[in-house]
Amino acid sequence: MKDFMTMYSNLVQNCFNDCINDFTSKAVSAKENSCVTNCATKFMKASERLGMRFQEANAAMMQGGGAPGK
Amino acid sequence: MSFLGFGSRPQPTSAQKIAAAEQELEMVTDMFNRLTESCRKKCLPTDYREGELNKGESVCLDRCVGKFFEVNMKISEFMQSQQQNAMAGGGSGRIGGFGA
Repeated sequence: MKDFMTMYSNLVQNCFNDCINDFTSKAVSAKENSCVTNCATKFMKASERLGMRFQEANAAMMQGGGAPGK
Repeated sequence: MSFLGFGSRPQPTSAQKIAAAEQELEMVTDMFNRLTESCRKKCLPTDYREGELNKGESVCLDRCVGKFFEVNMKISEFMQSQQQNAMAGGGSGRIGGFGA
């Protein structure tokens, strides 16, 4: 649960910072809106992919050339 | 026969094992979070014209994970050699090594 909340707040912060730069209007514009949607989608996809690669690399490190000096 | 009287061998208790496993899990989670942040910053452009990962971004992420691990190993080896140097050269007398 804690991890989920951390991810959630990271997501909000990152997508806000990357997408919302124009404060001439109070409403979130259509462009900003689609940017945020894309940002969130892409973030999840990237996390998924990174998680898979991370597991693979971690497993390879554990059984393969893991820490020569023990 | 036991030289240490009642002490016997220090077998890690199950509580200690659990604590070690928890610590390791925390380390791995922390590493993963740092990796995610770095690779996302380096591989994903911030204009978000589409929600899908394109080919270039995917390849970049894959390579990023590999390189992150490699750097991790390199630094770990470097720190170990530093520690060994400090132990070998630091004091004139030989002090029982920690960990090693």
